[in-house]
Amino acid sequence: MQAVSRSILRSACRSTRPSLAVLRQNHTEANPRQAESSSGPRTTHFGFKTVPEESKESLVKNVFNSVASSYDVMNDAMSMGVHRLWKDDFVSSLKPGRKGPMKCIDLAGGTGDVALRILDHARENYADRETTVDVVDINAEMLKEGYKRFKKTMYHNTPQIAFIESNAQALEQFPSDTYDLYTIAFGIRNCTSIPDVLKEAYRVLKPGGTFACLEFSKVNNPLLNMLYDQYSFSVIPIMGTILAGDRESYQYLVESIRRFPSQPDFAKMIQDAGFATGGNFEGKGGAWRDLWGGIACIHTGVKV
Amino acid sequence: MASLRSRLLQVAVPLVQSHGFTRQALANSALHLPTPHAEPLSETAVSSLFGEGDVARRTLIEAWLDNARNEMRSSASNNIKDILTTRLQQNEPVLRLLPEAFAVLASSNSLPVLDPRPALSHVAKVADDACRLSGAVETGTSWYTRRASLAAVYTAAELHQLTSPETAYSFLEDLLQKSETLGRSFDEVQLFASYVGNSWAGILRSRGIIS
Repeated sequence: MQAVSRSILRSACRSTRPSLAVLRQNHTEANPRQAESSSGPRTTHFGFKTVPEESKESLVKNVFNSVASSYDVMNDAMSMGVHRLWKDDFVSSLKPGRKGPMKCIDLAGGTGDVALRILDHARENYADRETTVDVVDINAEMLKEGYKRFKKTMYHNTPQIAFIESNAQALEQFPSDTYDLYTIAFGIRNCTSIPDVLKEAYRVLKPGGTFACLEFSKVNNPLLNMLYDQYSFSVIPIMGTILAGDRESYQYLVESIRRFPSQPDFAKMIQDAGFATGGNFEGKGGAWRDLWGGIACIHTGVKV
Repeated sequence: MASLRSRLLQVAVPLVQSHGFTRQALANSALHLPTPHAEPLSETAVSSLFGEGDVARRTLIEAWLDNARNEMRSSASNNIKDILTTRLQQNEPVLRLLPEAFAVLASSNSLPVLDPRPALSHVAKVADDACRLSGAVETGTSWYTRRASLAAVYTAAELHQLTSPETAYSFLEDLLQKSETLGRSFDEVQLFASYVGNSWAGILRSRGIIS
């Protein structure tokens, strides 16, 4: 539920919804237009298209605005509810509250999916009512959804939760060395500059703080990848057309997944931002952990 | 960075003496960096860097074993007994922790059975390093037999050390001597076998059965 609603909007980093996530596996295709960007103004990618950097934010916003109303339905329909399992897995692997209260910040957290799971995990497992989460999103509509949703919970009007509108690439209103845990689920892909997001994450985290990112990634099994590609490029846009009447936006979501760097490349970006990570391999003790063969992936890093 | 992770591991290795092969030792490593943190790493951070639960402990144990072999490499002598003695000395400060450490390594996979591979690879690495340090340049079968016998000797000496640390070094010396005799007899058996083989080949050739 929460998961469903929230994702669509997140803008700065707006995440594509998890629902889409299911579809996305096809990272394999390189962006055909990437090469064009060498001359002229600075560009970034928007799905498989290359666009000027300054316009990506508004393009992404349009996508999320246009899918927002039907996003909940689409999200669960396309992922068959799996995004919820991934988010559960993501939060429980971080064990928030295990050794005392934590100060958390959830980026592109719009509707509060991850925030609610963090607070529930800390409360249910460790009787921890002191852990706090600041939910940050670039899209005010999404934050409103989250606020509304939290009114239905015991956390409403407590210091445990706050909703703040901000861009993940410029967290000016947040002081440095503040947080113990930084989470971003299905959001970083939609940001214009991933290195800038990582830089800000590094800045706001305390020494010893953990950066954790849940994002669609690359499927390494060729057979699974073939199925995923088929699903992403055939089924999802059609479902978008039928359920939401908006093929283009869902096409973007699928394409943006393919454009996201592979697991080792993203781990390298996290290291370049100054984080310590696990070894350069998948799995226990490694820098990342694949979910469902790499359809989604959890990357972690620690500010040392 | 990966290098930051290995730096933390490096700092954590000396903490094993006071904290054992625990996640706490890893967490406290942050307190001993050149720019120390105010508090130990959180559980979340330890899991992110070194793995969840016992995986993190295994990472630490492996790092400790690597470090102990490095110390062995710094031994000045190229006598095999001195080299292995140096390695056994590394065990002394943490002797009481080693049985548990090896148990953690042996339970390294998800199956509910003991996995002997980590223990085998530990002694194989020690034997291999010791061979190289001693400057031996075997080829062929003796490359394997020498390593296998050294690994067996070292395993026995290490096990002996766990129960009776004082006599471990004389036990090692004793074993090395015996294994040398054993190796010599193995070589002799080989030589004898090749004589027999050659004679048979000669007989068969003289009869025109093989050319």
